[in-house]
Amino acid sequence: MNEKKKKASFLTTEFYLAIFLVVVLLLLGVLAKDFYSINNMMSLLNTFSYILISAIGMNMIIITSNIDVSTGALISVVCLFTAALGKAGVPFAGLLPAAMLMGAALSTLNGLFITKMKIPAIVATLATTQIFQGVLPLLVEGSIYDLPQSFTWLAFEAKIFGIIPASVLICLIVTVIALIFMKYSKFSKKIYAIGNNANGARLAGVNVNRTVVITYAIAGALFGISAIIIATAGQRVTNTMGTGLEMTFIAAVVLGGTSTAGGSGKIIGTVIGAFILAMIAPAINYLGISPNWSDAVKGAIIIISVVVSGAKYLKKKRVIPAEKLAKAGGEAS
Amino acid sequence: MKKKLLKFSFNKALFLIWLIIFFGIAIKSPSFLTAPYIINVMLRNIVEIGMVALPMTLIIITGGIDLSVGNTMILSAMLGGIAYTRWGTAAAILVTLLTGAACGLLNGIIIAKAKISAMVTTLATMYLFLGLARGISKGDSIYSYGFAEFLGNISISGLPIQIWLYIILAVIFTLLLGKSIFGRKLYGIGLNINATKYSGVNTDRMLILIYTLCGIICAIAAFIFLGRFTSVKYDAGTSFNLKVITIVVLGGTSIMGGVGDMKGTILGTLIIATLNSGLTVMNIPIDVQTIVQGIVLIIALIACAVVTERSKKKRIIKVDTGEGIKSETA
Repeated sequence: MNEKKKKASFLTTEFYLAIFLVVVLLLLGVLAKDFYSINNMMSLLNTFSYILISAIGMNMIIITSNIDVSTGALISVVCLFTAALGKAGVPFAGLLPAAMLMGAALSTLNGLFITKMKIPAIVATLATTQIFQGVLPLLVEGSIYDLPQSFTWLAFEAKIFGIIPASVLICLIVTVIALIFMKYSKFSKKIYAIGNNANGARLAGVNVNRTVVITYAIAGALFGISAIIIATAGQRVTNTMGTGLEMTFIAAVVLGGTSTAGGSGKIIGTVIGAFILAMIAPAINYLGISPNWSDAVKGAIIIISVVVSGAKYLKKKRVIPAEKLAKAGGEAS
Repeated sequence: MKKKLLKFSFNKALFLIWLIIFFGIAIKSPSFLTAPYIINVMLRNIVEIGMVALPMTLIIITGGIDLSVGNTMILSAMLGGIAYTRWGTAAAILVTLLTGAACGLLNGIIIAKAKISAMVTTLATMYLFLGLARGISKGDSIYSYGFAEFLGNISISGLPIQIWLYIILAVIFTLLLGKSIFGRKLYGIGLNINATKYSGVNTDRMLILIYTLCGIICAIAAFIFLGRFTSVKYDAGTSFNLKVITIVVLGGTSIMGGVGDMKGTILGTLIIATLNSGLTVMNIPIDVQTIVQGIVLIIALIACAVVTERSKKKRIIKVDTGEGIKSETA
């Protein structure tokens, strides 16, 4: 009974977000018709793809009640790494696994720092951010340019039905796998358990450290996929391509209703959150507002949605007797 | 008693690290040891970061964090600069301080009243303040004015005025955290916010107060920042946030809250200042400096983890319950 209520209230958080999204999309249809032009939709879908792929990884990390602020720097490293391979003529079929491996390796480093050294995730990844960022310019001076056609194949030639970018297909595959994985796999239950109560999970027989490291590795592979979508967008790869992206990913996860305290959160919410974040910049552009305001709008949307969902949580928490709790849950849903 | 001894030894270790770095660099390149270099390069470049690290220590001790400090600083500098071109110096000072306080207050109210975790809140307000600064300035630079230049460039009896300001603030904050009831309450909030609340502390008000205080200090740092660089763009504060947190964490303040002190933060500031300027004088490229900073941070973290682990063994039960409650409320 109680379980059912809880599930229903979770659905509504995402439900509200989805309604918000639909309303905004309808408004855009009325106010800015050019927003639905093929070109804009395709570039929006491309942005959405790489935000979502990484946000899914970030979501898994945040569910274990950890965090990763080094993602931006990590993506920059992987971008340069793949560019160096691409320059040597490696085709896309070789670049993708290489990027995933590289991302997973670097992210595993984060996981090891956090679990073996017992450093809180936010500061451990803060330190690795500095190391990644410092290593970058040593490897490459400024940028790698004049990349061959085989490198930019993903962005320019690989189109489904001639228009839809292939990154969308990758994103779709990743999302479907993630949805199934997070709902049915045994491993995902461990992730949720660790986020709720790491000690409890350990006593119940979960190898907490190993699970967290594997979670970081999986997330790192996803960051690698995002990196390759970002890197192949042009013939020039600079060493700041991922800078600041980590905040966008965390924002997408938080907007999607995942609590940074860990233990809760759904992939569907992250999908909607990522779409809203990817939409803000083009929407503002097509509404005729100066693009200078896009960050402010982004911040305001995150604050409002977080406060609204937080207010609901507060209301639930204040009621102590079980019967009242059930009642309040019923009202909320 | 045991805990006090251990904490003291961590500060002593930090001091030792600083001495080693300082003299190591001084032996390698003697031009480092001259008074003008130390004052004008080593200390002046760190003042804003060090200044904001002081209230940040208070925030981190309560178990919170503020990722929006750099953007608060830039937003207040920006609005102050715009106010100066319209209404003059007095208005500029007032607007800068009020902006800082308002930003901090917004953070504090959302964190304390709406019970949103500090990281999420300040992440969102970081975007908001960055976006406001960008939208209001339309992407243009804001230029420095009389008062900011006065704070950024004038020396009094050999020391630049911002260093005097830093020393005064450092003393005030050390006393505030170490010797006052206010400081004890902050530790209480960090260790167990519910217990502190039920023992009669208005925790909401305390949290709002320290975030507002942090905003005001950001505004003071804004004057110095603007004065030192003469012009400021909207995105100048982005890397500032993490630098401040690095210093506080390097100083032995636990990101989980409840552990740490102001002396550690001041030592952390000195270490980062010495490293930055020392590696520059040794002609080491800036990228290697970033790596060195990261490695120093990791070493400090591991050292800190070892120390707390050892002290944890003495009071396992206490620590466990504390964590349990915190994860519920966070």
